[in-house]
Amino acid sequence: MTGLISAIRGVGFALALCSMVIPAISQAQQTTPQHGGTLVMVVQPEPPTLASYQSTSGPIGQVATKVYEGLFEYDFNLRPIPGLARSWTVSPDSKTITFKLQQGVKFHDGQPFTSADVKFSVLDVLKKIHPRGINTFRSVETIETPDPYTAIFRLSEPAPYLLMALSGYESPMLPKHIFGTGDINNHPNANKPIGTGPYKFVEWQKGQYMRFDRNPDYWEKGRPYLDRIVARFIADGSTRAATLETQEAQIAGFNAILPLDVKRLQALPHIAIMTKGYEMQSPIVELDFNAQKKPFDNVKVRQAIAYAIDRKFVIDNIWFGFGRPATGPISSNFKATGIYTADVRNYNVPNGVEIANNLLDEAGYPRRADGTRFEIVHDITPYGEEWRRFGEYVQQQLGKLGIKASLRYEDVPTWLRRIYTNYDFELTNNWIQTLADPVIGVHRLYHSKSIKPGTVFVNGTRWSSPETDKLMDEATVETDPKKRAALYHEFQKRIVEASPIVFVLELDFVTVYNKKLQGWLVSPLGLYSSFDQAWLTK
Amino acid sequence: MTTKGLRYVVRRLALAIPTILTIIVLNFALVHLAPGDAADVLAGEAGSATPQYMAQLRQKFGLDQPLHVQLVGYLKQVLSLDLGYSFRHGMSVSELIATRLGPTLLLMLTVLVLSVGLGVLLGAIAARNLNRWRDNVISILAVLAYATPVFWAGLMLIVVFSVELGWFPVSGMEEVAAFNEGWARAIDIAHHLVLPAITLTLFYLALYTRLMRASMLDQYAMDYVVTARAKGLTERQIAWRHVLRNAVLPVLTMAGVQIGALLGGAVVVETVFAWPGLGFLAYESLFARDINLLLGIFFISGCLVVAVNLAVDLLYSLLDPRIELR
Repeated sequence: MTGLISAIRGVGFALALCSMVIPAISQAQQTTPQHGGTLVMVVQPEPPTLASYQSTSGPIGQVATKVYEGLFEYDFNLRPIPGLARSWTVSPDSKTITFKLQQGVKFHDGQPFTSADVKFSVLDVLKKIHPRGINTFRSVETIETPDPYTAIFRLSEPAPYLLMALSGYESPMLPKHIFGTGDINNHPNANKPIGTGPYKFVEWQKGQYMRFDRNPDYWEKGRPYLDRIVARFIADGSTRAATLETQEAQIAGFNAILPLDVKRLQALPHIAIMTKGYEMQSPIVELDFNAQKKPFDNVKVRQAIAYAIDRKFVIDNIWFGFGRPATGPISSNFKATGIYTADVRNYNVPNGVEIANNLLDEAGYPRRADGTRFEIVHDITPYGEEWRRFGEYVQQQLGKLGIKASLRYEDVPTWLRRIYTNYDFELTNNWIQTLADPVIGVHRLYHSKSIKPGTVFVNGTRWSSPETDKLMDEATVETDPKKRAALYHEFQKRIVEASPIVFVLELDFVTVYNKKLQGWLVSPLGLYSSFDQAWLTK
Repeated sequence: MTTKGLRYVVRRLALAIPTILTIIVLNFALVHLAPGDAADVLAGEAGSATPQYMAQLRQKFGLDQPLHVQLVGYLKQVLSLDLGYSFRHGMSVSELIATRLGPTLLLMLTVLVLSVGLGVLLGAIAARNLNRWRDNVISILAVLAYATPVFWAGLMLIVVFSVELGWFPVSGMEEVAAFNEGWARAIDIAHHLVLPAITLTLFYLALYTRLMRASMLDQYAMDYVVTARAKGLTERQIAWRHVLRNAVLPVLTMAGVQIGALLGGAVVVETVFAWPGLGFLAYESLFARDINLLLGIFFISGCLVVAVNLAVDLLYSLLDPRIELR
């Protein structure tokens, strides 16, 4: 009898369990975090320095953000939420922003974090030597510090994009008492960071690893959960995959695991993959024309190339399905803010090659007796194997249009010189991160003022128009979200029509991680967040 | 050492100075032939930059100076034994090289001892058993090992011994999550050393085996072997006491040359096993146009090659007293 009852109980329990399974999975990230453990993350390549206030190089962001924090964090709708700033108010004319700071925050050396540090970080460091900060904070004229927990930014003109650039990755808050003395360009603490973050920097063995230990005095009580984070640097892609396979490491992002290996690792029971956590990077794969040189000075020729590329084929076969067709200069990740529109000329059509051939005829480049129209050199951006394969695909498609393309592959400095200083190219593939706001990430590629020889990843096509310049200038200071969105919709339409760049796909970076690791993905910053909520199941 | 020997060493060292100066100037010129500079790369990695930022970088790196001014400045620095500063790493070059020299030497010496020692032994065995099964097995294995690409051999060892069997760690020089101290650390490093050392040894071992075998066979054809046989020495005595000693000279020459190559040539193994050596540092610094660092590594390797060549020449006279130091 007892046997029967326990059997019935068993069935009941099993039913109850079944009904719990689905919510249990969706809440996996919300189970009670446990303290302890060492997280080994694979970072590729090894960062050149830890001075995230001076270089925005990708891998630096993955490690420096564990030490330095920013005024804001962001939610998945790309809206700011409190970080080191507890609250903030923007004046009606949008020219004054008042930040109230968290109290009781200490730097790793025990000194308190105050408004003086905010003023110093923004005006003396970021506005002067940060590659993007020079632009982001150009309208910040002064910062008033009436008390240690209030910082008032006075702007010369409204700057709606500024509120998108205050994460620990983009604008780290530095201790004035450390970095205020000595040469900030060449500071002894550049590679010995001292911040307010959940982990303290311990050591950096060049070529091997960086070690960060738990900050027991972190201002968010009870956090962080991990005892230690170790960032490892492994140059070989297959070896990186093997370290996740054998559980020597628990997480690797920004395509450190090559797409080819992702498919294989995904099948392992202890491995999961994630494409979220890159919404503030939004990389777009593109083809850049030299719009001041024949034949691509002709808009019809540029449009023809845009028609000839089969986006789906490229995504499925070259990027293993990790991406979506791109429609224009602004990523669809900006849908939530209303800035993005898909209502532009659509080049991604089934009969693209046919349209392209017609356009080339109209443009005055008829096929010659041997079937070709003209010859070009197609440059390949030197950031990995996939770009070479993409170049081979483009070469093949151009062949269908009667354009004979030969491929040229050079190393990074040579390629950068060719595209952004000497403009000695016709067509190159490229990828651009459109970042957290178009002012920060997109304007640089199209504004006439961004045609700056010697400066990389700006307007290398040298295409610009007074109309699009004006739209960008207006959007920069427009604070009404609706009006700003309308300006950007018009901007996208005009850019896509003029086609100085072929927008191919919005690239999804892939993070591969061990299922034991929980709570690492808490914001669109992904691996660029502080990991204060990350923990390992036993 | 005799006074004659000492004088020889001093003279060779004096000759080394102009050699190394030439190496520095040539390297400087070659490195500057490559287009693009460190500022391009740093800004390129950043993914964005303003003109002010680029100008700041170039000024900071001294790249705004004319080339001959840069060269004179660099020579002055090196002559005062200062290898300069790597702006990319934010560290002095000598400090950077010092942290990498240890792991490089550890790997290199292990490989050298294993490959020369085993190579001489296997080559001698093969030569003594010419065209018999021992010779055939050794020769076939040597050709196989020599023909196998190093990166592939490394990856296969990882797949078999790390991923499948779990005997050895996949990569790195030590267990980073543990931070061992003392003996535990030494054992841990030795454990990590096994696979990269085997990978590199396989390649060089094959080379030395082939070389030793050929050299032994050459020596067997010499008159003194006939004399030794006539004297009534056993084949074993002839082989180990007479032939081997003479046959090892070409192997020694080869090993001397290869120490230089091993310093830079371990790039592939360092990459596959994430071994923190000089080779990969040099490779990285080339693509980053980190010129101070690259020239520093070239300088150190140059000095090492000169020193090793001298040591090999001294060893010659020790092994074969007929060779005079002049």
